[in-house]
Amino acid sequence: MQLSVSTISKDYGDIAAVRKVSFQINSGDIFALLGPNGAGKSSIIRMLVGMTRPDSGTIQVSHQNEVYDHVPRRLLGYLPEDRGLYPDKSIEKNLLYLAQLHGLSKQKALQEMAHWLEVFDLSDRRDEELKQLSKGNQQKVQLIAAVLHQPALVILDEPFSGLDPINQEKVVGFLKALKSRGMTVILSAHQMAMVEKLADHMLLMARGSVILAGTLADIQQQAGPQRQIAISCTDAVEVEQLQQWLPGLTIEGLSANKFLLTLTAEQSVSATLKRLVNELELTQVEMQTADLHQLYLMAMAQHQQRDPA
Amino acid sequence: MISKQSVIVAKWEFLRFFKWKQQLISYLLMMAVMAAVALWSYFTDESRKVYRIAVPAEFSISNSEQFQFQRPTIDFEAQLAQLQADERWHAVVTVNTTDTAAHKVELHTLAAKKWQQQLETELSNYFRQQYATELQLTPAQLEMLQQPVSVEYTYLDENFKGKDTPEKMIALGVLILLFIGLSTAFGQVLLSITGEKQQRVTEQLYAIVTPQQWMDGKVLGHSLSAMKAMVTSALVMLLVFIVVSVVVRDDGINLSWLNWAVLAWLVPFALLGVLLSACFMGAIAASIDDPNTSGKGAVMMITWLPMLFTYLVIDSPTGSAMTILSWLPLTSFAAMPVKMAMVDLPWWQPALSLLLLVAAVGWMRRVAGRIFLRGMQMYGKEPSWGQIVGWALSNKTD
Repeated sequence: MQLSVSTISKDYGDIAAVRKVSFQINSGDIFALLGPNGAGKSSIIRMLVGMTRPDSGTIQVSHQNEVYDHVPRRLLGYLPEDRGLYPDKSIEKNLLYLAQLHGLSKQKALQEMAHWLEVFDLSDRRDEELKQLSKGNQQKVQLIAAVLHQPALVILDEPFSGLDPINQEKVVGFLKALKSRGMTVILSAHQMAMVEKLADHMLLMARGSVILAGTLADIQQQAGPQRQIAISCTDAVEVEQLQQWLPGLTIEGLSANKFLLTLTAEQSVSATLKRLVNELELTQVEMQTADLHQLYLMAMAQHQQRDPA
Repeated sequence: MISKQSVIVAKWEFLRFFKWKQQLISYLLMMAVMAAVALWSYFTDESRKVYRIAVPAEFSISNSEQFQFQRPTIDFEAQLAQLQADERWHAVVTVNTTDTAAHKVELHTLAAKKWQQQLETELSNYFRQQYATELQLTPAQLEMLQQPVSVEYTYLDENFKGKDTPEKMIALGVLILLFIGLSTAFGQVLLSITGEKQQRVTEQLYAIVTPQQWMDGKVLGHSLSAMKAMVTSALVMLLVFIVVSVVVRDDGINLSWLNWAVLAWLVPFALLGVLLSACFMGAIAASIDDPNTSGKGAVMMITWLPMLFTYLVIDSPTGSAMTILSWLPLTSFAAMPVKMAMVDLPWWQPALSLLLLVAAVGWMRRVAGRIFLRGMQMYGKEPSWGQIVGWALSNKTD
C-alpha cells in the first residue's frame, strides 16, 4: 500500500488548519506526525479517514494495483483522538461488534482477539465490562479494536497519551508488531523518545505547515549541523560563568559540574574546548548528536522566531 | 438496500436495550400484578355476601339474592343495639311518615360500605313500585316511565361501520399501541445516539461504516424495539381482555370483534410509521451534541402529533380532516389504520397511502444520514435549525 498526500489544505472559517502539506508513505512504514497542539495533525488525520475533505490538494492510495482518491474504509484501522467504546459492554462484546462491522467472521474475530489480548495481558479480563478497566487498559482495548481486522493502514491519533511508561513501551512493541505484519502505520504523538524508536519517517508541523520532514537523519541534517558537547569537571561552576567564557553557546546545566553545550555551525569545537581547558579541570568530554526531542524544541523555537504570529 | 453492516448495527442496538432476563421478570411481574388484582377483587367482592336488613313491619319488599329483609318485633332501640353488637343486622331501615310529599328513608348502619348502594337501589325500586300502586299505574305504564328514550342512528354512508362499535375500540387500540411504540423509540434513539457521541464512539464507528449505514442500523434496531414494545403491549391488552371476559364476566373467550383484515394492514403501516418517526428522531438526535444542554430533544416529540390529530378526528372518520391525515405521509401511519377500522375502503386507497409512506421513509432516511454526517463534522458545535434544514434539503452525501 502506498499513500501520497499532495499539497492538501484545509480551512475552518478564518483558521488555516492545514497549509499545502505533502508527504508520501510506503507500505510497511511507520510515519509520525509531530507538532504542538493546534499544529494540524488531527486535521490531516481526519482528512485521511474521510471525515472531512481537503479544500485543495489530493490524497491518493495505491493498493494491490488499485488506485483510490481516498482511503477505503476496508483498508483502514483508526484510533481517534477523542475515543471511547461502550462502557457497559464487556471487552469481548465491544471488540466482536467492531470486528464484525469490519466484516470479520465471529471465529476469525475471536482468534485475532485472543492474540492481541494476550499481547496486552488482558486475556483473563475479556468478560469484564469496559468501565471496570483502568484508563490505560481501556486504551489498549481501543488499540486492539483498530487492528483486529488486519488493515493495510492503521492511523493512531495520540496512541501514547494517558499511558504510563511501562504501557508506553508495550505500545511501542505493539506498533513494531504491526509493522512486522506488513501494516502501514500513521501516528501522531508528543512522546519524542517513543517516536524516535519507531518512526521510519516523520513530519514536524507547526500552525498547519510542515517545518521538517523525512527520516530522523534527514531531520537532523535539515535542522543544521547542530553539535553538542557533554562535559564534566572537578569543581562546581555556575552556568552564568560558563556563559561569560563561551558567549553565544546554548548551555544546559545537568548538575553542578556537568553541562551540555550546543554549538551552532559557526562555533568551533576546538576553540570551545581550548577555552574550557584554560578555565576548568575537565574529567570527561563527549560529543553528542541532538535527539528528536531537542531537534523538535529547536525547530519550534526557530519557527516561532520566523513566524511569531 | 440495507447493508450487512446496517444489520449488524441494528442487532447491536436492539440487543443493547433488550435484556432477556429483565424482560421475563417484567412479564412475570405483570402477570403477578394481574393475579393479585383478580384475587383482591374476588375476596373483597361484597356482592357475593348476604345481608340482613331490618325493615318496618308494613314493608312488603321481597328478598333478593343479596338482601334478606326481616321485620323484627323488637323496638327500634333494641334493633340498633343488636346492630352495634353485630349480632343480627347489617342495617336497620326506618321511614319517616310525617312528610306527606315523599317518604324519608333512614338507613342505620355501622359504616359506609359498597353494598349499601345496591340496597339503596333496591329500596328506590320498592318505593317506586309503591307510588305506582298508589297512582294505580299498570306495570306496563311503570316500565314505560322507567325506560330512557332510545335514539338510534341510521347512517346513509354504507361504508361507515358505526360510531360506538368494536371497530372504534380497535382504532383507539391502534393509536395507543403507536404511542407506546414511538415513546419507546424516542427514549432509545435519543439515548443511543447522544450516548455514543458522549462516549466518543462515533468517530471510531465512522471509520468503519458510512453515516448512512450507521443511521440505517440505528433506525432499524430501535424500530424493532418499538415494534416489540407494541406487540408486547397488544398481547397484554388481549390478555387483560381474556381475563376480564373469563374470570370477571364469566363470558368465555370471544374474539369475533377482532378485524383481521385491518390488523393485517396495520402491521405495515405501524412498521413504516415507526421507521419514519425513528428516522426523524435519529436526525434530530444526530444534531444534538450534549443532551443535557440542548433543547432539540423535545422536538422529537413532534412524532406524537399524528396520533393526537387522528384522535381528535376519530369521531369523523369520513370527514375531510381524516381524509387529509390518512393520505399525508407524515400522518397516514396513524390515520389510515384508524380510518380503515371504522370505514370500509377500496383496497387501492390504503395501498397508495402505504406507497407514499414508503417514499417518505426513504427520503427521511437519507435526511437522517446527511444530518448525522454534517453534525459530526462540526466537532462539538451544535448546528442551527437553519443549517439542519439546509442539510435536509441538499443532495450532498459527503
